[in-house]
Amino acid sequence: MARRVRRSGLTMPINTQRFVDRSWTRNCDFLNFDFEDSVPQSQKVHARTLVAHAIVQGQKGGADITIRINCAYPDADVPAAVLPGVMQINFPKAETAEQMRHLDRLITEAERVQGIRPGTVRIGASIETTLGVANSYEIASASPRIQEFAGGTGYDMSMDMGVEMFVGFDQFVYNRGEGALVAMALGLEYTGSVYLSDTTGNVGDSGLTRQRAEANRKAGLRAGSGLHPNTVEPQNVGLTPTPEEVQAAQRLLAYFRELDERGEVEGELDGRVIDQYEAARATELLEWSVLCAQKDAQKARAQAQARALEAQTQA
Amino acid sequence: MEPFVRRSHLLVSARDEAQVAASWTHNADAVVLDLDDTVPMAEKPAVRTRIQAAIPVAARGGAEVFVRITTALAYADLAASVWPGLTGVVLTGAATGADVTEIAATLSQLEKERGIAHGTLSIIVMLDSGKGVWNIREIITASPRVCSVGLDEMRLCRHLGIEPHPDFDPFVYAKGRVIIESRAAKRQPVGFSHPAGLFPECEDTEERQRLALRSKNLGFAGMLCVHPAWVEPCNHAQTPSSERLDFYRETRRLFAEGIARGTAAIPYPGTTMMIDVPVDERARITLALWERCAARDAAKAEALQRARTAS
Repeated sequence: MARRVRRSGLTMPINTQRFVDRSWTRNCDFLNFDFEDSVPQSQKVHARTLVAHAIVQGQKGGADITIRINCAYPDADVPAAVLPGVMQINFPKAETAEQMRHLDRLITEAERVQGIRPGTVRIGASIETTLGVANSYEIASASPRIQEFAGGTGYDMSMDMGVEMFVGFDQFVYNRGEGALVAMALGLEYTGSVYLSDTTGNVGDSGLTRQRAEANRKAGLRAGSGLHPNTVEPQNVGLTPTPEEVQAAQRLLAYFRELDERGEVEGELDGRVIDQYEAARATELLEWSVLCAQKDAQKARAQAQARALEAQTQA
Repeated sequence: MEPFVRRSHLLVSARDEAQVAASWTHNADAVVLDLDDTVPMAEKPAVRTRIQAAIPVAARGGAEVFVRITTALAYADLAASVWPGLTGVVLTGAATGADVTEIAATLSQLEKERGIAHGTLSIIVMLDSGKGVWNIREIITASPRVCSVGLDEMRLCRHLGIEPHPDFDPFVYAKGRVIIESRAAKRQPVGFSHPAGLFPECEDTEERQRLALRSKNLGFAGMLCVHPAWVEPCNHAQTPSSERLDFYRETRRLFAEGIARGTAAIPYPGTTMMIDVPVDERARITLALWERCAARDAAKAEALQRARTAS
């Protein structure tokens, strides 16, 4: 499967029409329409009828579309959620490999019914409980549809661990480590984040979001997400390599090629030791930079088209 | 297993008669009479004979009473400890699930012989070897009697050849594993944030409060205290603060209103917070925990009152 660019994204209740209808204007890399915690029990059935409309709205902005289903109702949710245009089904509070295998079977059937190319709809397994952390490896390896993985942090996890959320130290350090190890051992994209102290828990803090995104980029991490529109641009910018970083990577690779031609494996550039690991890091950064540019172009095209269409209908 | 409130477990050497006599006065949720490290081998037989009488003394303030034993001497320790009034044992030295199964079988036998309801005695496992930490899942799920698990940090240091240092927590991974595995298996994680586990000699009251709260926010739900000065900070840190109760009650009220209107994402007035299912759930859990703590505190206060009147 192609590498996904998911620097920024918003999760929103699929049954709140004004959010869904404006979602394409947010310039997110992905939109995650929710069936789960932000949808009241009485609206669950109605929510399942709203996916086609949400896809159309979201795609106007060039975003990838994902649907977060309920862990309690996969049998009812999956046939409603898997429509052409949906890239990924997110499964919250994943706790066992059997849940993933069951979800995989449901998606396989839905792909068949909808005429979607078999095996292309991904699974996002969200670890949000201690049992999920304990079973990380089994969960992440349960389906080839799982392409990315991270350890459990956040609100549900803090509740299951009995800890407060914003205490000024990282209560989730073990979970992050476990998630990163499992992702790397299985060759999945690690979508976790570094820890930055946050004592307010303001989900719309663009300054802190930017800081975190930059710290993640410097640590080689590529993924973001969010609940508030203020988080989108700081992540789009903060997770994209800067022109200086791109230039430095190009210089490094040119130098490494010279070394290679001379039959050497290690040298020094600007006081830094350059070897195959540094070269691999630079190669990844350049690839990532190209993918970011492609995604930005795709979003800009889609949004220009949507604006033109909107102007036409208004005229 | 019944939900219990066991924020503080006060460890008292069964050898020290003055300490045992005063053990009920410190307001601990549980008192642990130690037959293990603090009792020299030569004295163990004599100290064992005093356990039966020590149990009701330790319980006078409403505490649950445990005896700390070790796998190697388990049979003699258990035979001396299993009497009506005992809540369970704190077990050191377990490194496999089979170690726990063996203790559980001995407990069943003694329950039968001594007129104690079957299956009621609990086991708190204190892991003290690399093998034990590695096998934590099979150890804590080996028996439904296992209610809690923690690290014996001092012995783990000895076992792993670690020289304890206050600036450096050698057990970041081990503690994370204990917290995750125990909560995943619905057992209570017992422990302290560094350095309180390895350096419990702390004179500063505020520092004790801070470390107890930090332990709670690391994910531990109770602490094993080697000194009575830790009991109050631990009870306090593990009890939801009463200032937040109104906030949680209001959260539940607003969420119920929102649900009635057909929405499950409700802004909390005057904050950036959104109330959704997990936020409401946390409010529910916290209020329920507060009530259980309040009930436990009332029961202890009543027992203490009775004991003081009697003496």
